[in-house]
Amino acid sequence: MTAVLEVNNLSKRFGGIVAVDNVSFTVNDGDILGIIGPNGSGKSTLFNCVLGQLLPSEGSVRIDGQESTGMRPCDLNRLGVSRTFQLLQVFPQLSVRDNLILAGQEHQGSMASRLFGRPDAGLGDAADQMIEFFRLTHLSDEQAGMLSYGQQKLLDAAMAFMAGPRLVLLDEPAGGVNLTMLGLLRERLQAYHAERKATFVVIEDQMEFVMALCTRVLVLAEGKIIAEGAPEEVRRNPAVIEAYLGH
Amino acid sequence: MKRFGPLSVAVAAAAAIGLPFLLKPFGVYLISMWAVLTIAAIGLNLTLGYAGQVSMAQGAFVGIGAYTVALLTAAGWPFFPAFILGGALCFVIGWLLGYPALRVQHHYLAFVTLAFNTLVFLVLRNEEWLTRGSYGIAGTDRPSLFGLSTDNARVFYFLCLAILILLSAATWWMLRSPWGRAFVALRENPIRALSLGLDTRRYTLMAFALGSTLGGLAGGLYAPLVQFIEPGSFSLNLSFNLLLMVIVGGSGRFFGPFVGALIAVLLPEWMRVAEGYYLIIYAMLVMVLMVFCPSGVIGLFEKAMKPKKPPAAPAAAAIKAEATPQ
Repeated sequence: MTAVLEVNNLSKRFGGIVAVDNVSFTVNDGDILGIIGPNGSGKSTLFNCVLGQLLPSEGSVRIDGQESTGMRPCDLNRLGVSRTFQLLQVFPQLSVRDNLILAGQEHQGSMASRLFGRPDAGLGDAADQMIEFFRLTHLSDEQAGMLSYGQQKLLDAAMAFMAGPRLVLLDEPAGGVNLTMLGLLRERLQAYHAERKATFVVIEDQMEFVMALCTRVLVLAEGKIIAEGAPEEVRRNPAVIEAYLGH
Repeated sequence: MKRFGPLSVAVAAAAAIGLPFLLKPFGVYLISMWAVLTIAAIGLNLTLGYAGQVSMAQGAFVGIGAYTVALLTAAGWPFFPAFILGGALCFVIGWLLGYPALRVQHHYLAFVTLAFNTLVFLVLRNEEWLTRGSYGIAGTDRPSLFGLSTDNARVFYFLCLAILILLSAATWWMLRSPWGRAFVALRENPIRALSLGLDTRRYTLMAFALGSTLGGLAGGLYAPLVQFIEPGSFSLNLSFNLLLMVIVGGSGRFFGPFVGALIAVLLPEWMRVAEGYYLIIYAMLVMVLMVFCPSGVIGLFEKAMKPKKPPAAPAAAAIKAEATPQ
């Protein structure tokens, strides 16, 4: 087992507020790690520090053993770290297919070679396969902005996988998605995981989704890790119950 | 092109070739001006319409291109090297002007570029040793091409048209490449684009540089067309006018600048009969268009061309398909 992601003693302070407090964990190859915790527990801040959107106040992040603290998101992405966002983040005026090609094109050659290369950057077939994998074939040429919320969530996930990433961080993939679509999304994520041996980290509030998808769960409260383990174990942990239900 | 309809393109092409033979010299001058300003507007459409970077300095780049050509040809340079150097100079300056855009966006960026335009205007006016200040530079020669002089207004028009076609074809090709997709992504969602490995910094600078280059090349034709340039021609007025062309034509639409420039060049001339009122009427027409069709004339055209589907059409079609035997 090799660690794909290593977070060491990471802290993030905003003025006097400690949003993430000395957090350490590792994610191994093939893991699906769920990060749960009440609102304001620091999940998203932790994500943003790992992904280069925020600079941690202390501590370090390593990807495949390589120091990545403070790297720009686009460089991290080319290192194989991909993500989805809590709020919808597709490109509404581009077609579904173009959204996917865009998600992979920056990994093809250099900026200059892309100008003189093929319009689809050689990714047309890969995009079509990804569209089919996420059951969006009938929407391939639609503008992404015309899709329903759930369909956009599927597209968002598909985009994160387009460049064949080493590690995918999913920020509340289930938020606001109706139950039918949620089932499809979870099933597709599991299928992708089984097929490509991908490694995921998932932030999620919806317990059922996390319990069904994740192989390991980490619980954050007030910026600290209060529990870690298999989903069932964590669910029974008194500290977790207290953090969720209050005092 | 498929959006616009090949027929409209054919009609426009026929008009562009046929018109100079039907028009009086002033008419030929106007359509030459249209071709020149369209090139500048295509550049601004790239920066603003596609890549979403607000620039109020396109007029300044037209000025830099125009002065480069006027000064260098006066010093004995042949036209084409001076023309290309003007474009290259604008590429570099445009790239540098892109740096503020990495920190500020939208109306803040508008003010930064506005200040840059004023700065260029002041340099053109005050650095008399170089630019001859407010006296301007008269009599920039029209180039000759393979021994053929373009002193004739009609021949010069065809030179402008040829360069317009060349540059718009290059722009079309660039927008079809992954770069075009990246520029739109930059406009629509820079944060997501960054997380997908898109180096938003380099694309932002490139959008400014390429848009400015087209502004500079337009300026390189402006000098021999008008044959008199002075700092006042490249003040904020020109930048606002170019912005108007992009917005009225249809921002982020390939043919928007062509239509926008046509309106901005011709409408004031047609409305001269209204004398002092023409600016008022012009302004009101623009306001009406913006209120009812923010996507510009091309947007209006697209709306009219699109077959109106009732909302239930897909379901109805499915039922119909099932009901129809093979």
